[in-house]
Order: sequence, then C-alpha cells, then structure tokens
Amino acid sequence: MNRINQKLQEDKKLLSIYFTAGYPEINDTVSIIQDLEKNGVDMIEIGLPFSDPLADGPTIQDSSTAALKNGMTTEVLFKQLEGIREMVSIPLIIMGYFNPMFQYGVEAFCKKCQELGIDGLIIPDLPVDVYHEKYQAIFEKYGLINVFLITPQTSDERIRYIDSISNGFIYMVSSASTTGAKSGFGEEQTAYFERIGNMNLNNPQVIGFGISNNETFTQATKYAKGAIIGSAFVKHVTKHGVDSIDTFTNSILNA
Amino acid sequence: MKLKVCGMKYQDNIESIAALKPDYLGFIFYEKTPRHFDTKIPDISDNIKKTGVFVNAEIGTIVEKVNEFKLDAVQLHGEESPYFCSILRSTSLLSRPIEIIKVFSVKEGFNFEVLEPYENVCDYYLFDTKGKLPGGNGYTFDWSLLNDYPSTKPFFLSGGIGIDQIEAIKTFQKSDASKYCYAIDVNSKFETEPGLKNSSILREFINKLHNKKTMNYNVDDKGYYGEFGGAFIPEMLYPNVEELRQNYLKVMAEPEFQKEFDKLLKDYVGRPSPLYFAKRLSEKYNTKIYLKREDLNHTGAHKINNTIGQILMAKRLGKTRIIAETGAGQHGVATATVCALMGMECIVYMGEIDIARQAPNVARMKMLGAKVVPALSGSRTLKDATNEAIRDWINNPVNTHYIIGSAIGPHPYPDMVTRFQAVISEEIKWQLREQEGRENPDYVVACIGGGSNAAGTYYHYLHEPDVGIIAVEAAGLGIDSGESAATSVLGKEGIIHGCKTLLMQTKDGQITEPYSISAGLDYPGVGPMHAHLSKTGRAEFLSITDSDAMEAGLELSKLEGIIPAIETSHAFAIFKHKTFKPDDVVVMSLSGRGDKDLQNYIDYFKI
Repeated sequence: MNRINQKLQEDKKLLSIYFTAGYPEINDTVSIIQDLEKNGVDMIEIGLPFSDPLADGPTIQDSSTAALKNGMTTEVLFKQLEGIREMVSIPLIIMGYFNPMFQYGVEAFCKKCQELGIDGLIIPDLPVDVYHEKYQAIFEKYGLINVFLITPQTSDERIRYIDSISNGFIYMVSSASTTGAKSGFGEEQTAYFERIGNMNLNNPQVIGFGISNNETFTQATKYAKGAIIGSAFVKHVTKHGVDSIDTFTNSILNA
Repeated sequence: MKLKVCGMKYQDNIESIAALKPDYLGFIFYEKTPRHFDTKIPDISDNIKKTGVFVNAEIGTIVEKVNEFKLDAVQLHGEESPYFCSILRSTSLLSRPIEIIKVFSVKEGFNFEVLEPYENVCDYYLFDTKGKLPGGNGYTFDWSLLNDYPSTKPFFLSGGIGIDQIEAIKTFQKSDASKYCYAIDVNSKFETEPGLKNSSILREFINKLHNKKTMNYNVDDKGYYGEFGGAFIPEMLYPNVEELRQNYLKVMAEPEFQKEFDKLLKDYVGRPSPLYFAKRLSEKYNTKIYLKREDLNHTGAHKINNTIGQILMAKRLGKTRIIAETGAGQHGVATATVCALMGMECIVYMGEIDIARQAPNVARMKMLGAKVVPALSGSRTLKDATNEAIRDWINNPVNTHYIIGSAIGPHPYPDMVTRFQAVISEEIKWQLREQEGRENPDYVVACIGGGSNAAGTYYHYLHEPDVGIIAVEAAGLGIDSGESAATSVLGKEGIIHGCKTLLMQTKDGQITEPYSISAGLDYPGVGPMHAHLSKTGRAEFLSITDSDAMEAGLELSKLEGIIPAIETSHAFAIFKHKTFKPDDVVVMSLSGRGDKDLQNYIDYFKI
C-alpha cells in the first residue's frame, strides 16, 4: 500500500508541510525533510520551483525565484533525493507546476519518482480531464498518487468527479485565493468545510491555503483529516533559517 | 487526374474558383441554359485552360468567341460532325491553337463505334449522362460502361459528379475503365444557384480527390489547435474559465450582442479602418502593398476591437469588475477606455519595469480612471503582469472578468480574442474586392507577439490556400544573441499562462525572459493558433531584428507619412528580406501608430 494511504488510515489529524526545494540554500532539501519528520510532521510536500507559479502568493513566488537562482532544477532535486528512503519513512509528495515535468518527460518523471520513493504528486495546473485522458495510466504504473484541488467555487458535481478519479486525498483549498496566510477562517469557510464534510466523499480531505498557526490548524482539522502549511513555513525558514524547524512545528502542534 | 469546373458565370465567382487552381474552367455559350455566359472573363492564371462550350454553333461564332475570350479549348456539345471538327481544327481564322473536346452522352447500350470517325479530328472525348438537355443533367451514368471503351484517346468523365461521389471516383480510378480517363468534369453539384459555384465545397472535393488531408486551423471543440491550446489552469480558475467557455459562442451569436458590438466598432472605434494602397512603398519594392490601417482606430491600435468585445461579454455574464495585464500599455489603455465607456471598475497589472519605461500610457490609464498595479515579482515585465492578473482572478472569482489582450491564455481566450479581431480580415475582403476586384491577396502580413492582430488579419484567410500567410516575430538583437523574442525559432512546446504552445524556456522547463526593443512583442510565448500555423507550415515565420525594424519604421514614415508603432515596424522590415512579384498583392496589418514610441525613435535615431 502507498505510504499516503497508510498514513491516511492512522487515527489522528495530519500535519503536512510544504517547502520549496533549494531554498533558502540549494542543499537544504534533505535536512529540511529529516527535521520535519523528526518533529512530528506526517507528510511532506517538496516544492519543485517554477518561474511562474500562478497559484501561489508572493511568499512562494519569492522562495521559488530564489531557489531557481540557487541553481535548483528537476535533475538537481532528483540527485538530492537519492537515498532519501533510507533516512525518512513518512509520505513524500512532489508539488510543482506541469511545464518542468512535461519537459523532463512525464513518464520519465514518474519513473524517477518511483525509484526515489516519492509517493504522490500535486500539479495545480494539470487539469483533471487531461490527467484522466493522458497521464493517469502512467501515474498508476509507477504507483503514484495524484492529488487534486477543490475550491469553494467547485460544484458538487465536479467534486464527485474529482473524488472518483482520486485515490489518496483531496486537497481542499480553503478560500478563493492563492497561497499565503489569511487571518483565520470566517463563517464562509466553515460553511464550506461542513458542506464538503457532509458529502461523504470516498477520499479524505486535507485543507490547505491560509493555514499558518495552531488556531487555523485546529479549526481546519475539525472538519478534515489534515491540513497543509506552506507559506507560513517558508516565511519561518526565511526569518529563522533551517536550524529551528522544531520551534515552528511545536507552535503548530503543541500550542 | 485533371479537373474541369464547368458552367462559370459570375466574375467574382470565377476568381474565387480560379484560386482553387482547376485545370479547366468552362464557359457555356448557349443561350438556352441558365448558365449562359455573357460577361467578361477576369484575369486568371494562364495555367487554367479557358474552355468554351457550344451546342451546334456556327464555326464563325466559335471562332469569334475563341478570339474574343482567348479560349484554350472548345467543347462541342451538339451533333457536330467529324467534318465540322476537322474544319474547326484547321481554320486559319483562329488567333490561337485550341483543344477540341467532343461530347458524347452515354447510357446503357451506348455504341462506342460512333467515336471512330472522330479519332483524328478532336483531342479529347467527354462522356456525359444522356438526358433531356445537352449537359448539366445532374446525375451520373454507369461508369462501368467505359469498360468497353475501345479507344486510347484520353477522355473527360462528366455528368452529375458531386462530393458524394468521391469514393465512387476512387473506386473508378482503380478500375480498368479509368485507364484513359484524363479529367473529371464538375458543374451543377457544386452550385448554390445555376452558374454560382460554392468554393468551399469544391475545395473540399479537390482535397479529397488528391487525398489531401483537410487541415483545420481553427480551434476544435476541445479547445485545441492541432496539439496546441487547451486549458492548463489551476482548479481555482476552473469555474471562471468554464463559465466563459460555455457562454462565449452563445453570447457572440446573439443578434443584440452583434448589433451593439458592430455599432461601437463603427461609432466609437471608427471602423471600418481604411485599406490604403501604399503607392510609394509599392514602387520602392516593386509589388502592390496595401496597408490595413488599424493604427487609425480609437486608442491607436487594433487592441480596442477585442476590449470592446470582451467588455460586452463581461456585462452579459454579469461581471462588475475588470482586470487586465499590459506590457507596453496599449492593451491597458484599450481596457481602461472601454471600462470608462461602460462605467466599470478597472485594474490593470503592469510590470514595474514597464511602468517606468511607458510613463505616458500609465498616465493615460490613470486619466481614464483605471488603477495601475505594479507587478513586482519575477522579471517585472509582461509575463509577470499576466501572472498577477491571473492571481487576482483566482482571488476574485465571482464578480471579475479578466480581459486578456492577446490570442493567448486558456481556451476559450485564444479563440474569443481571434473572433473579436477577425473584423480586420472581414473588412480586408470586401475592401480588396472594391480596389482589386478580388477578395484574396497573395499575402497577408502581420507582426506577432502573442498574436492578436495577426490572428485577426489571418482569420478569414486561414483556409484560402492561395493566400500566403506571413508572421513576423521580433529577433531582438538577433536570433543567436540570447536577446530575442523569436518564439517560433527559439521556443519549444510547453505550457504558459494556461495553454500549451511554443514558448521560450530553459531545458528544465523554466520560462525565460524574452527581449525585443518593442514592448508589445516582448512575450516568451505565442498564441496556440500561431504555434499550429508554424508547426504545420501554413504560415511562414520571419524574424526581424531591432535595427531592421527601426529602419523600416523610419522608411514608412518618410515614404507614406505614417509613423508606425515599433511592433508594426517589424512587419515592414520584411521587404528588405523577401522579394515579392510585381503583381503580388501584399496586405500589411498596420497594427498600431507610433505616437507611444516617439521617445524610442528619438533616442534611436538621435532626432
């Protein structure tokens, strides 16, 4: 069984952390992954940087630009991840935009992911239909779980469709926005979380976008299996470097 | 197998059918048929043999018509005797040599022995269906009767042949009966009324006959141009784009919408824009150059055609807030203008660097009531402004419409923008007919950044194979200089701003920063339709350097009194690199005026 599915079966709320590979320094990738696991994080999204990350806010845009400037590429990331499965056992997901994967070759990319022990992919600009038509078979061949996003604007019908094509979890975008911290969740969000919760989907949901602290994490996981923190973590390493990851995870999990 | 199209009657129609390059065109000189020809034959290619069709006419009449119309062939449809044919063949009254085609109507039991006396006095036979009238009966005979054909003289196969017979023709071609079949003769099955041929069905027939795959250059129902296009968008944008996709064609087809659009184009934009014959430029380059004056539109460029269309679309969809991206500021101004016109909120994203170098347009947008937001990320130019506009749309999915300024972005944008800009080629067609007596020029030429003026200029000519399409990209400091925007040469298939197209990128798939002296051509991708035109070879792509473009801009100013935008200047530089024939008609899209670039021209030429 895929590590993501195993993790989703655990009887706990999951904390997933996103970071941009190659940021703040080019060789921080492996140590960040190790530290996150050590400090109780359940799942990691390794951000493959892209020059034009449309779905991201300024924080991740900036970390991506810096990572590219540091020399991060698909090849470099794959090189860094060699042997990662001898060091960590929690699920690892690569999150990135479609063009770099397309240039690497989708099948070659998936094959490499399997070799390295990557469990899934999140590709915000690869539409469900195109995935279903062209790439699903390839992903499945290499045992990769593809994670789709839904938003407050996604219709019930489309959510059911996405649910039917998913085989891990559904990434629930908390509000109509790009990535980056907001100040807490209002009624509109909680109504949306409830609505989705009541749909009894086949795949568990993990909420992302706008989760930055213990409060928003607790709020989100009241309705969902887990929550994803991205921009807030990137901001933390920008400010405090990579040596105090425990301070960040503690502030989320043990406040 | 050759093709003869018979029963031509109308001048315009003769020209458009001649453009399909048939081998013979037939003109019927027989007053009892509605296809009786009684006007002039326009200038058509010498490769098409003009054929006069006669029914029991006097020798004198035939000679007169051959000499008057410079006919290359005579088709005899009556009971003309072998003796008559021999006289016609040998008469010294003819000013030119002719081919003689003798017609026989075939039905079951046809006796091929009747051909024998004609063997030495005519060049071809034509086998038609036996019917009440001579010719044009509109149904086929049993072609297997030709199995008994005893001669070796090449013949025309005729009688009610239409596009439905393609398979039958192909079967026939494989059979022995077709051994001496020289040509197919078509007429009534391709008509919308007697004498008026439908060129698009005929083109399809010709393509099928020659096993040519009919290439489609328009968008397909999934949003692709060949392998390019589609909608590669994050789920957050799906509802907005899907709403547009489901509605754009419906809305554009509403008579009320069309009326409002046309009226604004006429009264507000100032359309139709003139098609101007550039006499001095034509003389200099020894060819016939026409300028489509989009620079005379309100706001000084073609951009407003699209923003008028899109703001009407936004209103129909109940949107109250408009966002746009802009590079040089032309599309930003065109958007701010229509927002002022409609009293709608307008936010324009513009790269921080572009804001600094395009100050007059920033001021114009502000005067028009728009808010100009600097894009501070990435390279702080057009591509980043586009990213910011997309992010805004993600954050404001319900009340906002995003007016994309070029033929780029996720489906349906490239198609929608192209359709709004298609007014350019729609006008060229009738304007050229007025001035040149024909709708199709030999070439249409436009500069390409994302490609909206080009898309509009090409649109109605995409499927006219006799019209050459030339796309002019910005080579910047030169293709190999590392400072260029020539996407068709330097780009590779990839995904940018929601569509699959050709784009400039690193080996690793990171989008690279293009360079051109012209801010409007300074985009790392190209619209998916143009990527398809490039890949299929339908369009010829040329790239022009900064210096060639600047010189061409100065030349147009001095020769014609028109200062073009630097984007447009690129198109005019092709005359230094490509030679046209003296009688070629070349239509140039003069997409924008040069006022905005005055400082650039001043700096460059030290004026």
